[in-house]
Amino acid sequence: MVTLSRNEPEYVRYEIKIQPAPDVIPFPSRFKVRVKKHRLAGLLLKELVHYRGQKEVVTSRPCVYGVFSGPVGGFAPREDKCVGCLRCTTQYPEMVEIFRNPDRENLGDSHFTREYVDSVHYESQSGRVPVRGAGYRGKFGGEGWDGMWTDMSEIVRPTRDGIHGREFISTAVDIGEKPLLLQFNSEGIMVGETPHCLTIPIPMLFDAPPPSARTRALTEILVRSATETETLCILPLPEILEFSIRNRHVVPLISLSDRDKLSELGFAPSMIEMEKWDENLYGIIRDQFPEAIVAVRLPYSPGFEDRLLMLVDHGVGVFHLVGSYHGRGQNGEFVRDLISAGHRALVAVGKRDRTTLIGSGGIIAAEHVPKAIICGLDAVALDTPVLVALQARMIGECVDWNNNQFDIREVPVDWGVQRLKNLLASWRDQLLEILGAMGLREVRRSRGETGRAMFQEDLEIEAFGEIEGYGD
Amino acid sequence: MEIDNKTIEQLITEKHTIALRRGFSVWPRGEFGKPPALGDFRWTADLILSTWIQAETGKPPTNGLEYRVGASGGGFDVLDFKFLPEDQWITNGNLIDTSISLNGRPYDKKIKISVPWYGGGMSYGSISDHVMLSRVRAAKEWGTYTSSGEGGYPDTIVPYKDNIITQVATGLFGVREQTIQYAPIIELKYAQGAKPGLGGHLLADKSTASVAKIRESVPWVSLFSPFPFHSVYSVEDHKKHLDWIKTINPAALLCVKVSTPTDVDMVAVGSFYAGAHILNIDGSYGSTGAAPEIAKKNIAMPVEYAIPKVHKYLVSEGIRDELIVMASGGIRTAYDIAKAIALGADGCVLGTTELVAIGCTRCSNCERGRGCPFGLTTTDPELSQLVDPDWGMRRISSVYQSFQFQLKDILRRLGLTSIRELRGRSDLLLYNKQHPSNDKYKMKKVSKPEEELRVEESVTDSVVE
Ligand code: SF4
Ligand code: SF4
Repeated sequence: MVTLSRNEPEYVRYEIKIQPAPDVIPFPSRFKVRVKKHRLAGLLLKELVHYRGQKEVVTSRPCVYGVFSGPVGGFAPREDKCVGCLRCTTQYPEMVEIFRNPDRENLGDSHFTREYVDSVHYESQSGRVPVRGAGYRGKFGGEGWDGMWTDMSEIVRPTRDGIHGREFISTAVDIGEKPLLLQFNSEGIMVGETPHCLTIPIPMLFDAPPPSARTRALTEILVRSATETETLCILPLPEILEFSIRNRHVVPLISLSDRDKLSELGFAPSMIEMEKWDENLYGIIRDQFPEAIVAVRLPYSPGFEDRLLMLVDHGVGVFHLVGSYHGRGQNGEFVRDLISAGHRALVAVGKRDRTTLIGSGGIIAAEHVPKAIICGLDAVALDTPVLVALQARMIGECVDWNNNQFDIREVPVDWGVQRLKNLLASWRDQLLEILGAMGLREVRRSRGETGRAMFQEDLEIEAFGEIEGYGD
Repeated sequence: MEIDNKTIEQLITEKHTIALRRGFSVWPRGEFGKPPALGDFRWTADLILSTWIQAETGKPPTNGLEYRVGASGGGFDVLDFKFLPEDQWITNGNLIDTSISLNGRPYDKKIKISVPWYGGGMSYGSISDHVMLSRVRAAKEWGTYTSSGEGGYPDTIVPYKDNIITQVATGLFGVREQTIQYAPIIELKYAQGAKPGLGGHLLADKSTASVAKIRESVPWVSLFSPFPFHSVYSVEDHKKHLDWIKTINPAALLCVKVSTPTDVDMVAVGSFYAGAHILNIDGSYGSTGAAPEIAKKNIAMPVEYAIPKVHKYLVSEGIRDELIVMASGGIRTAYDIAKAIALGADGCVLGTTELVAIGCTRCSNCERGRGCPFGLTTTDPELSQLVDPDWGMRRISSVYQSFQFQLKDILRRLGLTSIRELRGRSDLLLYNKQHPSNDKYKMKKVSKPEEELRVEESVTDSVVE
């Protein structure tokens, strides 16, 4: 078994170093503050008289966040400081209006909505878990991930150690081909089929960015971020060759037309991904890179489960299931159900534990990672969240690998690396929250555990099925 | 310099307090429209503004504000009642009883509350003692309760201990023999809906000297409530906990507050056999405290699903009447309370509604900087002054009055004389996925007086319990 880097004999707790990575491209403020200046002037005059010139009273402002604390107070509000508490407008309805900033509201697209952009923005900027007061504010449920809740236990903990036991949860996952059992001879030496896999410390890797968004800086950011977080990044072979990349955290993405360039690869990759299945090319890769784990990219086309099983019969052990950026398969079904279908197909033929399923498409928030794993993935390949973390703007709908337009600027590489490390650290911490609440000690144990999740369609029928009008 | 014998600080507080209260009164009337940035899917601008009206008048709004449902597109927001034809409505409102008992066991003290709700746990530290006082005084006025939350009793609320539920949570902050003996009801908090399985966290900034003193901790240091009780790993351990409370206060009723996991029905049965009188199931969509965003939406089920699950299972086990089920975590309106009861709860626990009554705009900044800018979830000495306990009590009490009025109205239109008759009557509900409320996130303008909603006046005189 290949472990990417950490071969230290002693236990080292995995950690991603976070540090603030403030925006390098101006990000629109959340709120717009509109003050009717003549009314403000009138109020100040009135108060000057009423409070007999007491400056401290007259200039005491409603905003505790400093929006009106600039040199000219409310005459030039500092909108970037506004958190939308609405105290000013509550106090002075005729004078102050607070609006949601349309520039901010319009960020993202119909799947990667402004709320998700805000979260990724905060997470990549700070590396922290978003915490807010006053309960949940969104829709009740919905399609896909929104109609799914993870379980918790009132009393079961991952361990009895630590404040919450969370500190000891493993987020490591294996990628590769695994025998169902290990065999040893009488001298304790492993015989028979041996595992051919690598371990990454988080169930997240970076998918190849779409052609429209590729820049040299982005490539460098992805490679360094994957290296520093000990995970993987998938990159097209031509790009690897163009930038002379030699790094075992990089997974070359090989298309049919790359066949002749394989020999130019200047390093022995730990994993290779085929853009689509080709038996001949698969054979060549296996011959040329016998140590490498070979994954096959598989779109969610109608009947993809049959294709999955067929490829397992051909000896493929790792699949990268690819949905659109909006989380859809080719027939419009949401990836949540498609992942489950793929997972169950493998379970039904007794091949699930031999196989690794990586998935991408529509996984755009921290909570989507455990949900996708519960539905049946081993690991998630991040696509659009990477670009959003690097402050790329979506222009129109960014639907899939070929249909998208990102406004991605050249950004400093060090900054970009920190943004992605922050994002991964935050998502990992949130994964720990979910696993801790479930009382699970390893993310591996949540794979396919749909019994530890609740689905809206099931809950709804159980709770409301007998109510008149339900199902109409 | 002083003006009218008032210090500068007093004048500043007065200036802002007067302006704020005027705002709470003016905005819902609609002359300025609605604050464009107010509200969200669960608590729409209409719901917030109508709660402000109710806090002022004690009645639901009559100017077209939607005061019954939010715009979340699910749960309570897609349920309606199947009211009887008007000629079958009960005409004498005085016949309608909104009281419930908090003890269904054949033994131990009988406690009845005049309205089917009490106030949920908000600790000293997470809210100011002015807010605590407002809540507990309203509870006293209505013959109900409010929970201390995990933070003990500041001296100011001790005189109201007969209307306080002492909460014992995993950090045991503020828990002493004395505070367990104070209260007629003791609540063991295993989990809370907004952060199920995650424990609690009081930020260092809020742990002032007085908060730390009551919690027996060090000022200005973050306080973690671990999850779960590290002394409870089984139903037997759970029973041991309840027995421990009973040993200290044999007269107390025992409440167990849990979250809503897949097996919430089993948890309910386990709590019953461990000796609980009340089970508080706390769904994931409510709460007033700060919580990781990931926990609020994604861990544990919404209370609308948990209530019927628990109710039906307790019925099938033949123990439904002996365990009081209180639902919380997203109860916003009188209609939510009625729907929760129709789904199978005995009553509800209110939290956010009370804060909205005294000015919360649901802006979610509770943990930022000095805490709530409206003086609610803060221990900042200046900001806390914005809530005067008498004013706060009157506002909360008026919302209670309006809620009771609406519950009676619902009951009479269903032909029921007691809220207890509504429990588990999901046959009186209608499921309406196309509920008009669900288009109202981008809400219509407040209507003119001539479009006023007709509210039946026949039950405005509340029944004195
Ligand atoms: S809404 Fe709140 S933060 Fe924004 S300007 Fe007004 S008082 Fe300040
Ligand atoms: S900070 Fe905002 S959400 Fe929190 S209590 Fe105050 S007004 Fe309500």
